[in-house]
Amino acid sequence: MVFKWLPLNTTGRSIVPQIIFETEDGQALIVNTEAEHLMQAALDHEIPGIEGACGGVCSCATCHVHIDPAWTELVGPPNDFEAALLELEDQFKLCSRLGCQVKLTPELDGLKVRVATGAS
Amino acid sequence: MSAHPDPFRQARASSCGMTVHVDGEPIPLVLDLQGVRRAAKDWQAYSSANPFHITLQSEEALRNFRQLPIETDPPDHTDYRAIVEPLFRRPAQPDYAARMRDIVRRTVDEACALGTLDGVLSFALPLQSRALALLLNVPESEADEWITWGIRAFDHDEQGPSKGARLENYIQRQLEHAAGTPGEDLFSILHRATFRGRPLTYEEKQGFANLVFAGGRDTVIHTTTSILAYIAEHPAFCPQLAADPALVPKAVEEFVRVVTPLTAITRTCAADTPHQSAGGRIGLCWASANRDDRFFKHADRVQPDRAPNPHVAFGFGPHSCLGASHTRLLLRTLLTQCAERGLRIQTLEAIPNVEVFDTFSRPIGFSKLIQRWSAQQEIP
Ligand code: HEM
Repeated sequence: MVFKWLPLNTTGRSIVPQIIFETEDGQALIVNTEAEHLMQAALDHEIPGIEGACGGVCSCATCHVHIDPAWTELVGPPNDFEAALLELEDQFKLCSRLGCQVKLTPELDGLKVRVATGAS
Repeated sequence: MSAHPDPFRQARASSCGMTVHVDGEPIPLVLDLQGVRRAAKDWQAYSSANPFHITLQSEEALRNFRQLPIETDPPDHTDYRAIVEPLFRRPAQPDYAARMRDIVRRTVDEACALGTLDGVLSFALPLQSRALALLLNVPESEADEWITWGIRAFDHDEQGPSKGARLENYIQRQLEHAAGTPGEDLFSILHRATFRGRPLTYEEKQGFANLVFAGGRDTVIHTTTSILAYIAEHPAFCPQLAADPALVPKAVEEFVRVVTPLTAITRTCAADTPHQSAGGRIGLCWASANRDDRFFKHADRVQPDRAPNPHVAFGFGPHSCLGASHTRLLLRTLLTQCAERGLRIQTLEAIPNVEVFDTFSRPIGFSKLIQRWSAQQEIP
């Protein structure tokens, strides 16, 4: 696995959550983010495979990720809108979430997720 | 925009559902959101490989070649779709967004200069045509010819076959030109493309080119005019967008949901199902799914800040709309500029465009929308 740190692309606070995105081709991209949601963090840092086509309203599933087992409890389960969409996704797993529905909080510092859109 | 009735509400709530009859053929409609998604996803049970029979009304009289990639199933569909996918991914590039801004700015300028105009013919049609030229990567001058085709350019009516012939002639000219001087446009891509190691046949190239005009024209025009009517009815809307630009993408999704310009697309059943026998068609009713009150609270209301908004206006599954990124960029750019300019619109006359079948009818956009436009600010 290749680890790559991506620069913080906003002026930002000093303590912001750090997220590790594992891409479908096996890279680990580490970002510090002030984004409100996981999808926005991915878009801000151009994470391959995350398109966020619908802008984050839970219509398209182009921000599908698998939450690392160590983090599923803290991140929590999908909401009903999300679950209905996710259960039809080819790469659906119990740890699936849509990035647009995962609100980033300081407790999620260190969160590790894997891109699961099949698009990269 | 105020009149966006839901003709499927009762049928969705009852156990009887709704069946439309087209030329004597019964086509049961799938009406609930999750049912539509499931059927759209399950291409083995519900096939798209039934040429001319993707729309409720058969298109046999309009053309004699298969539309691609839509009238195929995986794995063929996957390989066909891959041929044009890179072209449809270009809207993500910054340069594409800049060119879209320029197209929208010029078209809004022209409308403001006219003052009083038909929002269909003098705004939505040129806007859609110029934007399509950008998507297909052809010179913008091509749009001038498409504009002369008017709206409902490929519909069924008494002139059906001649309308089909006009598009076929146009595509033939473009394919011949691409063969002589290949570039990076759609027609040149089709000229160079191979499918499993062999060049595309002429009919395959026609099938690809035909679909971008048939699928990418009235859908965009009707959504655009519905937005214009909404702006006229809600003078506070543009100032609200100007104050909160983050609302723009959400508002676009909401307009696309409420308008759902493509009411239904059909699939052919591979085996007997509870509602249709093998070989018969069912309709995936995107328009009904988008009003399913299990997912959309106050589904008939336009709520520009609606989120989540899990609509299926762009379809779902392997055939989901290839033009969606382009359409979203176009409509987001339009709303952004309307807001930045403080656009004011007054509607003087509105004639809805109504789609009619035996068991339902629904307005989709307008056939005429006479409006008075004025902008408070210029865009530099
Ligand atoms: C508001 C605008 C639009 C709407 C609501 C819309 C809607 C749809 C829907 C519902 C489908 C799925 C069909 C199915 O499942 O069989 C679809 C597919 C498609 N659309 Fe769109 N569309 C729009 C704009 C466009 C534009 C601008 C283009 C291109 C110029 C386009 C090109 C296509 C193509 C090529 C497909 C077939 C994809 C495939 O079979 O893999 N659409 N569209």
